[in-house]
Amino acid sequence: MTTPEPLLALSGINTFYGQAQVHFDLSVTVGRGHIVCLLGGNASGKSTTMKIILGLVKPRSGDVTFDGASLLGLTTPQIVRRGIASVPEARRLFADMSVRENILMGAFVRNDRDAVAQDLDKMLTLFPKLGQRLSQRAGSLSGGEQQMVAMARALMSRPRMIVMDEPTMGLSPLYVDRVLELIRTINLDGVSVFMVEQNASLALEIAHEAYVLQTGRIVLSGPARALKDDPRVRDAYLGGSEAA
Amino acid sequence: MSSWLDYTINGLIVGNVYALVAVGLALIFGVSRLINFAQGSIYLVGAYIGWVAVVQLHTPLPLTIIVVAAAAALVGLVIERFGLRPLQNSVRIAPLLATIGISFVLDQLVMLTFSPNPRALPSQLPDVRFQVGGGTIGPLDLLIAGVGLTSALLLFVFLRYSKLGWAVRAASQDRDAAMQMGVDVNRVNQAVFGIAAALGGVSGMLVGMYYNQIDTAMSLQATLKGVVAEVVGGAGNVPGAVIGSLLLGLVESYGVAVFGTSYRNLFAFLLLVVVLVLRPNGLFASARQAPPEPLTGTFIAPSRPLRIPRWALLAAAAIFALLPLLPVSFYVLQTLINAWLLGMLALSLTLVAGTIGQVSLGHAALLAIGAYTSALLSLSAAVPVGLAIIAGGLMSAALGTILISPSFRLRGHYVSIATLAIGEIVSLVILNWESVTRGPIGISGIPPLSLFGYDLVSPASIYWFSFAVMVALALLQARLLGSHLGRSFRAIRDDDIAARAYGLSLNRYKSLAFIFGGFAAGVSGGIAAHLYSYINHETFNTQQSILALTVVILGGLGNVVGAVVGSVALVGLPELFRIAAEYRILIYGIVLLLLVRFRPQGLLGTI
Ligand SMILES: Nc1ncnc2c1ncn2[C@@H]1O[C@H](COP(=O)(O)OP(=O)(O)O)[C@@H](O)[C@H]1O
Ligand SMILES: [Mg+2]
Repeated sequence: MTTPEPLLALSGINTFYGQAQVHFDLSVTVGRGHIVCLLGGNASGKSTTMKIILGLVKPRSGDVTFDGASLLGLTTPQIVRRGIASVPEARRLFADMSVRENILMGAFVRNDRDAVAQDLDKMLTLFPKLGQRLSQRAGSLSGGEQQMVAMARALMSRPRMIVMDEPTMGLSPLYVDRVLELIRTINLDGVSVFMVEQNASLALEIAHEAYVLQTGRIVLSGPARALKDDPRVRDAYLGGSEAA
Repeated sequence: MSSWLDYTINGLIVGNVYALVAVGLALIFGVSRLINFAQGSIYLVGAYIGWVAVVQLHTPLPLTIIVVAAAAALVGLVIERFGLRPLQNSVRIAPLLATIGISFVLDQLVMLTFSPNPRALPSQLPDVRFQVGGGTIGPLDLLIAGVGLTSALLLFVFLRYSKLGWAVRAASQDRDAAMQMGVDVNRVNQAVFGIAAALGGVSGMLVGMYYNQIDTAMSLQATLKGVVAEVVGGAGNVPGAVIGSLLLGLVESYGVAVFGTSYRNLFAFLLLVVVLVLRPNGLFASARQAPPEPLTGTFIAPSRPLRIPRWALLAAAAIFALLPLLPVSFYVLQTLINAWLLGMLALSLTLVAGTIGQVSLGHAALLAIGAYTSALLSLSAAVPVGLAIIAGGLMSAALGTILISPSFRLRGHYVSIATLAIGEIVSLVILNWESVTRGPIGISGIPPLSLFGYDLVSPASIYWFSFAVMVALALLQARLLGSHLGRSFRAIRDDDIAARAYGLSLNRYKSLAFIFGGFAAGVSGGIAAHLYSYINHETFNTQQSILALTVVILGGLGNVVGAVVGSVALVGLPELFRIAAEYRILIYGIVLLLLVRFRPQGLLGTI
C-alpha cells in the first residue's frame, strides 16, 4: 500500500513570538483524504500550528505547502481561496450576525449564488437543528450549537481541507460524539481534515494519523491505531488530561 | 424668544450632523479598533470643497453634495492607504498618533490654502421658515434631516445586502475569523474609510451651510463631538452612534437654552466624561458584551534607549548654562527659553504617556491651571511670583490628578479621549467662570518674573531661571525613574493586569505620576504666565498638547533626556531655518507622521 501524496506539508517550521520560540523544527503532513490529528497539552503550540497553516502567523523558517505549492507568501484570504477552511479555537462565530449570515459568510469566497443556496440547504440536512435557528443571533446559541454553525460555515466554502482547533472543547458528551461523527462524515465526502486536540482518546478514534506535540517539538507520530496503544501516549494523554 | 420645540428641532438637526461624523467613527472603530482623530479634518475638507463648489464653481446643490462626498471619500482612501495601512504591524499606539498627525497636516493645508479667516457658505436654499406646532423649520433643516435619513438608509442597505457590507460587519465582530472566511481586511478598511470620509465631508458642508460660515477651527470641534457621540452610543456600534448623536444634539440644545451658548461644548464633554466613567462601553452595551479593548498590551514601542555618558550630559548642560555669557543674540535666548518651558511640559508628558503609558492629549490644561493659579495669586493676593509659580505647580498637580482620577480605570485609546475631553473642559470652565478667571477677557497685567524681590527682566536672567527649573525637574524625574517607583510605573504600562496581580495599586501609581507630571507642567504654565503678562482661555490649547506629544515621541517615550532634546529640536530647528509660523504646525504634523512610521522609538529610544 502506498501513502497518498500529501495534500498539506509543514516542514522544518520554527516559529517565534518575539523572543520566545514556539515551534522547533516542526514537520507535519496531511495525506489526501485523511484525518490527521495533532495532540498536545496546553501551550504546546497547537493553535499556533493552525495559525501558521492559515497564514495568520508567519514562521521564521521552514515551509508550508498545500497541493505542492508554498503558502508562505500568501495572505490568509488567499490561502482560504486555495481551498482551506477553518473551524477556529472557541468557534469564533460572528456573534451579532444571524446563524444564516454566519453560515453564508463561509461562502464568502464563492460567487455562484445558486449553488451557495443549495449548499445552505445541504447544511440544514447535515445539521438539522440549525433549521429553526437560522434567524437567531449566533451569539445566543449554546456551545454545541455554535460548533455546528462553525462547521457548517467552514463547509460552505467547499474546501479541500478543513483545519479545526479543538472542536470538542467545552462541549457536552452528547455533542462531542456528534461532532466526531460529523468530522467522519465530512471526511467521507472527500474533505481532508487536520485537527488539533487535547482530547487524545476521542481524536484517535477517528484519525488516520496523529502527531504528538510537546512544547513545540513533535515527540511521537504514526498511524492513529498504533498511537492509541502506545504506552507513552496513554500515560501522557489518555490518563491525565481528560478533565475538559 | 424661541420655543422648546425650536430647541428640540435644533438639537435633532445638529444631532443629525454629528451622526454623519459619528457613524464614520463607529465604522472605523468597529473594523480597526481605532479612533480616527482625523475625522474632523475630513469634515473640514468637506466644508471647504463645498465652498469651492458653491462659491467658485456655482454647482447646483445636488451636484455639490456629490462632489463633496466623492472628494472627501478620496481623501479618506488616501489616508487609509498611505497613512494607516503601512502601520498594520506596528505598535498599537501608532495608528492613533498617525491620525493625529494627519489631522494636523490636513487642517494646516486647508488653512494655508484658504487662510484662517472665516468664509460664508451659502446654502442656495430659499430663506423661508414653516410654522410647525410651536416652532419653525426651514428648508435647510429638511435637507439635513433628508441627508441624514438617506445616508442611514444607504448604509443599512450596504451593510445588510452587499457582500462588502457583510465583510465589514464580520470584520468588525471578529477580524481574524473574517480573514479565515476569505475577507480581505484591507478592502474592508478601504471601504470603511471611504464611507466614513464621504459622510464626514458632507456633514462639514451641511454645518457650513447651517451657520453660513466655515473656518479652520471646525475640525477639532467636529472630531470631539463625533467622538462624544460615538462613545455615548458605544464605540463601534453604528446604530448606537446615531442615537448617541441625536442625544448629544438634544443635550447641547437644551443646555444652551437654559445656560447660554458658551456652555454648549461644556455639556458635550461632561456627557462624554460621565459616560466614559460610568459606562465605558456606551449607553446601549449589553452587560454580557465584552468591553471593546482597543490598544492594550504593548502600547509603546520597545527599544534599547541610547545611553548618553554622564560627562556628555554635563558638558551639554554647562554649555547651555554659559550660553548667555557668550555673544548670542536676544533671539537665540528667547527661543531657548521657549524650549525650556516646553521641556518642562514634555517632561511631564513623557512621564505620564511614556513611563506609565497614559497617552494624554489634554496636557495643555495643566499649563493653563498652573498659569491661572500663579497669575491670579500674584495679581489679586499679592503673593510673591516665585511662590505663586510653585503654588501653580501644586494646584496643577492636585487639580489635574483629581480631574483625571475618575478615568484611571480606562485604558489605551479611552485614556486619550478622556484627557482630551478634560482638557477641553478646563478651557471651557476658564471661559465661563468669569468671577474668578475673568472669562473671555483673560488676565492682563500679570507681574513679571521675580525671585526674592528681584525682578527678572533681562533675557539672560529669565533664561537662567527657566533653564535651572527645567534641569531641576529633569534631575528629579531621572531619580524617580531609576527608583523602585519608576519600575512600578513601567510595569503598569507594560501589563496593567499583571501589575495588579503583583499587588500594585494602579490608582495610586497613576496618581503619583499625574501629581509629579502635573507639578512640572503647572510650573511651566506659571512661568509662562509671568513671561507673557497676558493669558486667556486659548493661550494653552490642544495644539500645544499635541506639540508636547510630538516632542515626547521625538525624544523617545519615557526618556527624560529625550524630552529635553525633543523640545530644543522642535522649537529650535524651525527658528534656525526661519520657517514661517504658519508652516510650523504643518511641520510638526509631518514630523509626527514620519516618526510614527519610521522611528516610533524616537531619537533616543523609549525607556
Ligand atoms: N500572540 C501571541 N503572542 C505571544 N505569545 C503567544 C501568542 N499566542 C500564543 N503564545 C504562546 O505560545 C505558546 C503556544 O501557544 P498555542 O499555540 O496557543 O498553544 P496551544 O494551542 O497548544 O495551547 C504558549 O506559550 C502561548 O502563551
Ligand atoms: Mg490552543
